[in-house]
Amino acid sequence: MKKQGVGARLIRKEDDRYMRGRGEFVGDIRLAGMQDAAFVRSPLAHARIKSIKVPDDLAGCVFTAADLDEVKPITAVTALPGFKPSDQPVLARGKVRHVGELVAICIAPDRAEAEDMAARVEIDFDALPAVHDMLMAREKDSALVHDHWGDNIFLETLVDDDMKAAAGEAAVKVTRAFSTARQCMSPIEGRGAIAHWDGRLEQLTVHSSTQMPHIVRSGLSECLGIDHGAIRVIAPDVGGGFGYKGILLPEEVCLAWAAMHLGHLVRWLEDRRENLTASANCREHHYVVTAYADKEGKLLGIDAEATVDSGAYSAYPFSACLEAAQVASILPGVYDFPHYRCHTFSAATNKAPILPYRGVARTGVCFAMELMIDAVARELDMEPTDVRMKNLVRPEQMPFDNITNKHFDSGDYPEALRRTVEAIDLTAVRQRQKKGESDGRVIGVGFAMYCEQAAHGTSVYAGWGIPMVPGHEQANARLTPDGGLEIRIGAHSHGQGLETTLSQVANEVLGIAHDKIKVVHGDTAFTPYSTGTWGSRCMVMSGGAVAEACDQLAERARGIAAKMLQCKPTDITLKDNRAIGPSGELTIEEIAYIWYRRPQDLPPDVNPSGLEVTAGYKPERDSGTFSYAAHAALLAVDTLTGEVEILDYVIVEDGGVLVNPMIVDGQIFGGAAQGVGTALYEEMRFDADAQPLASTLSDYLLPGPAEIPSIRVFHMETPSPYTRFGVKGIGEGGAIAPPAAITNAINDALKPMGAELTMSPVTPRRIVEAIVAARSEKETAA
Amino acid sequence: MPTISLTVNGKPVSAEADTRQLLSVFLREQLGLTGTHIGCDTSQCGVCVIHVDGKAVKSCTMLALQADGADVTTIEGLASEGEMHPMQEAFRDHHALQCGFCTPGMVMMSVVLARDNPDLDDDAIRHGLEGNLCRCTGYQNIIHAVRAGAKAMKG
Repeated sequence: MKKQGVGARLIRKEDDRYMRGRGEFVGDIRLAGMQDAAFVRSPLAHARIKSIKVPDDLAGCVFTAADLDEVKPITAVTALPGFKPSDQPVLARGKVRHVGELVAICIAPDRAEAEDMAARVEIDFDALPAVHDMLMAREKDSALVHDHWGDNIFLETLVDDDMKAAAGEAAVKVTRAFSTARQCMSPIEGRGAIAHWDGRLEQLTVHSSTQMPHIVRSGLSECLGIDHGAIRVIAPDVGGGFGYKGILLPEEVCLAWAAMHLGHLVRWLEDRRENLTASANCREHHYVVTAYADKEGKLLGIDAEATVDSGAYSAYPFSACLEAAQVASILPGVYDFPHYRCHTFSAATNKAPILPYRGVARTGVCFAMELMIDAVARELDMEPTDVRMKNLVRPEQMPFDNITNKHFDSGDYPEALRRTVEAIDLTAVRQRQKKGESDGRVIGVGFAMYCEQAAHGTSVYAGWGIPMVPGHEQANARLTPDGGLEIRIGAHSHGQGLETTLSQVANEVLGIAHDKIKVVHGDTAFTPYSTGTWGSRCMVMSGGAVAEACDQLAERARGIAAKMLQCKPTDITLKDNRAIGPSGELTIEEIAYIWYRRPQDLPPDVNPSGLEVTAGYKPERDSGTFSYAAHAALLAVDTLTGEVEILDYVIVEDGGVLVNPMIVDGQIFGGAAQGVGTALYEEMRFDADAQPLASTLSDYLLPGPAEIPSIRVFHMETPSPYTRFGVKGIGEGGAIAPPAAITNAINDALKPMGAELTMSPVTPRRIVEAIVAARSEKETAA
Repeated sequence: MPTISLTVNGKPVSAEADTRQLLSVFLREQLGLTGTHIGCDTSQCGVCVIHVDGKAVKSCTMLALQADGADVTTIEGLASEGEMHPMQEAFRDHHALQCGFCTPGMVMMSVVLARDNPDLDDDAIRHGLEGNLCRCTGYQNIIHAVRAGAKAMKG
């Protein structure tokens, strides 16, 4: 049998159904008696609701907060000292706090009719001043998003590791302010759900396009006040997540309430306008950073103040503070320096509640930290890669506890940078820059590095104390009577290819052929509890659990085979669908058949536990795996139009042992493309009334095939010492470094003109403005 | 409600269509052909591309009524007798899909690009697919797949 285990480059099991148009996304499900919901959403960012008028003929079809009295608001608290909780009513009560907030649910035989109803609901508002900017939100005279708080700060944190000492010793001090735009994650499939109350089973079934069916079930139980046992959540095929679907939705709670009260199924499918205007909910950070360094470029300290625009409410389960809390702990990145201070603010504004998007806070901190490194290099007139080399954690320090007590498990960071410098051919780029371009453009090269904590464990999340703390990840493995293998996991696969890679893990342990293994996921009725798919955790956690369950199943199968072959279980080898003993062999199919269908052939002292196992897994240390990468961008800038063309893009990446290198490459390409979008295109702007200024994909720019360069990926494979097979999480990394690498390259190109960009996305307008500003500064100085 | 008659995936069909119903919605709701997806409602994302009288069309840009009498092919009709179309095989073999949501539109567009220009280079593929968005793959493997699929279609 060709290798089908860990390391094999297998095509995906899941692709056949997608290729033939037979995927089943939530919008593809057809259930008898299903009606469609449309929501009345707030057109204002901040207002008091004076009255809601539902036309008489719509009674029984339209419901408001007054009808949902018994439904509890969504609350996602944290255990962090000083955190201010918010109550998010599933339908607005008293006040609306962001554009797109739900005010009423309208239910009709189809969506068009439901939207017609929604258009007839009249709301009388008293508009309030909107909090549209996170820095203004922190000011004393700002309007208040939550009146009883007294300010707009969900949480303020401060860490200070003897910062004052750095200032005294430093040869250079460089200060910069950075900001990253608010974005909309924009999976191509929007959110959506169907709710159904089954009177016979007394069970609520919710089909939802979610990354975490078990967490949605817990959230529904809490809001609706019904037992977990009375709720089943099914996540069918899901058309992209990226964090956007890692949430308990107010829409889901409303649909569930409606299904329980109306006696028929209710469906809601988010459209793109809702997606953009009601849920631009990620990435918006602001930093002021001061770096202290000696004259050789060795960092002595980093002093940072970070503000995150957390939006109006604390979203369930990740809370309003995950981003800012992470900023403080991961800003030091891949570097080793002695002094550090970070002061963070999670600011409430009249925008959609923030959610962690692929890379979570890392994309922002990588932007801030990597642009600082280049700013220090410019100040010292050094090559930016030389400054990086001087400060990187070295391989002989691994495993390494950094200044914020992050435990880097393994790797060779300087080697990743060396390989990147070589692949992009830095020497040749510098020569080409001296010669100049025949078309009048200027070229620049930029680098960025990160390390990415993945598969966060109990110890990491317990400190944050949010509604979801991951424990042992569980998997179930079961031999079927004909020798097939079923694997059940509580996480969900929506592009990651887990139906394939977890099958590879099972094959590695049991030797059962790939085509006889089925991975079942996405249904709380059939799978063990799991916090779901987030934080690049599934290959480490679900993969480890599948291996553990298969180990135990192997022992059971060997036990039966040993009885039949009259040898010791330890003499049996499982390989190529067979159990091979010293003097004979059985197929896995024969073992399963005997157990299930011909128990009369088994001796009486056989282990009664059978051929089904549920096992739990945690890595030896649960502080997370740390994959890492160096990115390099080579690009050309037209200084008249501000247009940027990426000429070459290199990634040297170390994600530990790769289970399926083809799938890993796909994750990196896809992540990097999202990173290019963050770097150059994607921005949801808000006006002073906190109105979102994009409502279609013609004004919120997602990169298309003509905008994304061919990316060259090179792998290093340093195993994690703590995980099964040495795997690490790699799902998010691609999206982390591109904004920093690309902006550093643009700044490198513009260096002779004295222009420097510090905000993403780096749009043509911002480039031209920076050039004009630098020119007028020079003229003023002259 | 008016009734329209058209050929879909080689079979004649007649069904009622609301005057404001888009062709994409008609295919999904009236005919149950849910392989054609809806991603943006405003004709930017391309997940609803089908073939109408041999042309690649975003089915959200047409009213169902406008398809009366047309010959329509959707992703469900691309494979013949169970055998995948060479472009479908190329997408699978080159890992040109992840979540699979944009895939039907991407494949339907690519088939027409390759048919109309058998010697597609990467640049022509990238520009030919400008109206199709994918959020998972970064397009790189899609470009490889379309190149391979075009070659296979040439035979």
